[in-house]
Amino acid sequence: MITLPVVLAFAAVLFGIGLYGVLGQTNAVMVIMGVELMLGAAMLNVVGFLRFAHQDSTSGAFFVLILLTLMALEAAIGFGLVISTFRNRRTAEVDDLTDLSG
Amino acid sequence: MSDLATALVFWPVGALMLVTALYVFVTSSMARAGLLLLAALALEGLLFLALASEFLGVLMLLMMSAEMVIMVFFMVMFMPDPGGLMGMDMVHDKRRSAGAAVVVGLLLAVVAVLTDWPAQMLPPDAPDVRAIGFEVMGRSMFSFLFAGMAILFTIVGGIMVAKQGGRYGVGAPAGEAREG
Repeated sequence: MITLPVVLAFAAVLFGIGLYGVLGQTNAVMVIMGVELMLGAAMLNVVGFLRFAHQDSTSGAFFVLILLTLMALEAAIGFGLVISTFRNRRTAEVDDLTDLSG
Repeated sequence: MSDLATALVFWPVGALMLVTALYVFVTSSMARAGLLLLAALALEGLLFLALASEFLGVLMLLMMSAEMVIMVFFMVMFMPDPGGLMGMDMVHDKRRSAGAAVVVGLLLAVVAVLTDWPAQMLPPDAPDVRAIGFEVMGRSMFSFLFAGMAILFTIVGGIMVAKQGGRYGVGAPAGEAREG
């Protein structure tokens, strides 16, 4: 039997895995992948609420559409920044980008 | 889909999704990482299907398969060893980042399990594509137009950021040009 807390717990673990990618990975493309997983966890949450806790499901489904758009935009801008960084520094490693560090 | 069928699909597919998502950051090859991320998000699309969101599930499968194929190209371009044959380590601050991820994930999971959520079960025939279409053309039209404009601005902005010379053109002004 699947209930809302089960879905939310799966999404929480997926969010944690994405957070590990964002905090721990050295390559900018891998950081973008972590953000994708975190947004995927948010979408799983919304779909869980749609299925188990919300009567007005159509507007909730629309919210997932907006999140899918956000995923695509985040990846596009992220890749643009990666290309720009690579042009200037010949690297996509976040450890090498220390101009603003204190 | 009945409750039993939902459970039979959800548990194995959900577990496989978490395993593939974790292996995205464990493998030493970016090409493999991209394909594993594609698998994780495709499995999430299957979860959407199991949770009676057919339209969103199919949309997720289509969008993510296209996006991840593009992402694999970027990964192969921007890593020194796309095949992962040298076994390099792409992780920094491993203990603290893993600790933060475990704490946040467990905290969210505990809150999800312990909270008394409202139980208003959705009828299995909703939402359908027709209802979502009316929603997009109805009261959510402004939001949908905003999303469209955001996509347009992202296309223009992404190209401007990525192109040779940045937003100032090929001849960058003094102070903007960097050593290659």
